Amino acid sequence: MFLSVGVRFEANVEALNMVETAGNYSKHRRVPYLVEEDGKLKTVYVPALSGESLAHAYQEHLVREALSLNLPVCDDCRRNEFYKSMNKVHLKKKVNPIPDDPKKIEVAIVQSCVIEDVGGFLYAEKPPVRRSSAFQVSYALPVKSVALFATSEPQLHARHAQMDSSSKKGNASEQMIYYVETGTALYGFTFNLDLNAIGVSAITSEPILNENEIKARREAALKALFRMLSSAQFGAKLSRFFPVGGITEVAVAVTEHPFVVTSPIYDDYIARTERRLKVLEGLGEKYLFTVATGEKVPEEALKEAMDYLKEQGAF
Amino acid sequence: MVPLTFFLKVTMRPTGIIALRALPQSKMRTALRYVPPTTLIGAIAYPLFHIGGSRAETVYDRRTFRSTVGEVLGLFDWVTVKTSGKPRLYGALLKINTVYRGKVQSAVTSFPFAVMYGTNDATITAVYIINEEALAESTYRLEDIERAAWGITRLGSRESVVSVESVETGRADVIEVETAETSYAFPFKGLEVSGKGTLQSVVDWRSGIRDYSQARRMVMFYPEGSVRVRGQLRVARVGGEVIVLAP
Repeated sequence: MFLSVGVRFEANVEALNMVETAGNYSKHRRVPYLVEEDGKLKTVYVPALSGESLAHAYQEHLVREALSLNLPVCDDCRRNEFYKSMNKVHLKKKVNPIPDDPKKIEVAIVQSCVIEDVGGFLYAEKPPVRRSSAFQVSYALPVKSVALFATSEPQLHARHAQMDSSSKKGNASEQMIYYVETGTALYGFTFNLDLNAIGVSAITSEPILNENEIKARREAALKALFRMLSSAQFGAKLSRFFPVGGITEVAVAVTEHPFVVTSPIYDDYIARTERRLKVLEGLGEKYLFTVATGEKVPEEALKEAMDYLKEQGAF
Repeated sequence: MVPLTFFLKVTMRPTGIIALRALPQSKMRTALRYVPPTTLIGAIAYPLFHIGGSRAETVYDRRTFRSTVGEVLGLFDWVTVKTSGKPRLYGALLKINTVYRGKVQSAVTSFPFAVMYGTNDATITAVYIINEEALAESTYRLEDIERAAWGITRLGSRESVVSVESVETGRADVIEVETAETSYAFPFKGLEVSGKGTLQSVVDWRSGIRDYSQARRMVMFYPEGSVRVRGQLRVARVGGEVIVLAP
């Protein structure tokens, strides 16, 4: 089974994804939005969140959900440091001595960590072993029809420290100003989850775990997505720049094989996704499509998808 | 009479960016502006394997290893792509703070990608010409290939999520001509081209998909809009459009 979710969320005065500092100025991630005028391209920079940022948040939620279901999570991932068995130093924490056989390396990693099972890994030694992530996340970009209204504005802050002459060093000032660039936009992003990949070898195609554990891991993967969207716990600086707004729309498609909802950055994404799913139905494939707009809340749509997956025996 | 061959025309909408790393890389990381054929094959191979119940990604053969995509390479006689609009390469500067041997270090890096995001709707249309003999000998059917086309989820990196908006199927006829007009990428070898476009060196997928540092390459011309091509051409007519094949 394959799950694809399109999410639109409003975020006012957020600092969810910062990319660099220049002195006392922290910059928000931005991407160019291409405007065509009289046959010439003009570039407007709009705030954005990278897929890496969203993927990191999802994996943090997956750590919590996996642990709550008593599923294995390695020490690195428990600390939310997703090194993913990238080299001998990290792999030795899971299996020592390290086997020569790539199949045995993959089994050792998948058995000992849900995050690396679902989120993939790349062991970059000899022999190299790779496992693609079972989930995919796009960038979160401002919805196209209102992208030109998206803003990146620096907010001035000051921190104070009382100093007497004995503690003052050099030109240190009692007052330091700094700027945090905040974004305001209606964002859209896509999240896909390939449930068939969980607990199955990316080398032999054989299940590495028993059916019950695979189902438990799928449940953890789905709950982590539910929790991430429901709690709005993704991105940086939530402690002081928690975005004002929330999820405005969610569209969820569940299919037997891969299928991606039309990106919510386009206004017609729900209608187009529905039409595309009708074509799949014509090819003999069952599906579920549910949307949360207006009356329905996102949690209801996500729960509907989870109930459907449960009926289908996915977990 | 040239036999007609089955084709798939797959129109995709990007989610704003397409991140394709040009390989091999030095410290100066660059991204590809246009989608190379290897990426198109990898993109359709994933849902095709899904339909076939295979999860395998890597084949190990003693000390060498290669992508399992090699198993389905033979199903395609030719793959190409057209892109509406001109993607713009962009990479935000990223500041990375690390602790190395007890000392705090700061480094600046960038991961560029192709931006397909703006007032105009950008689309990527891929054409797959199917080798029906190879397909008949495989475990897949034409219906599987068509369903796989609907199942393309991304082009390249995991952030480059796309949605397939339409899949057109039909039969292409292959003819030899001296001039043709095309919007699709073609191998730039011994041809005269009138019109705008970009030359991009890509891995020649017909030599296999494995270690790219040693791979054979070819130069592809990616048109901006449509271009007129002159020379000894083999072209395929696919649903009212023309694609120029390798000589």
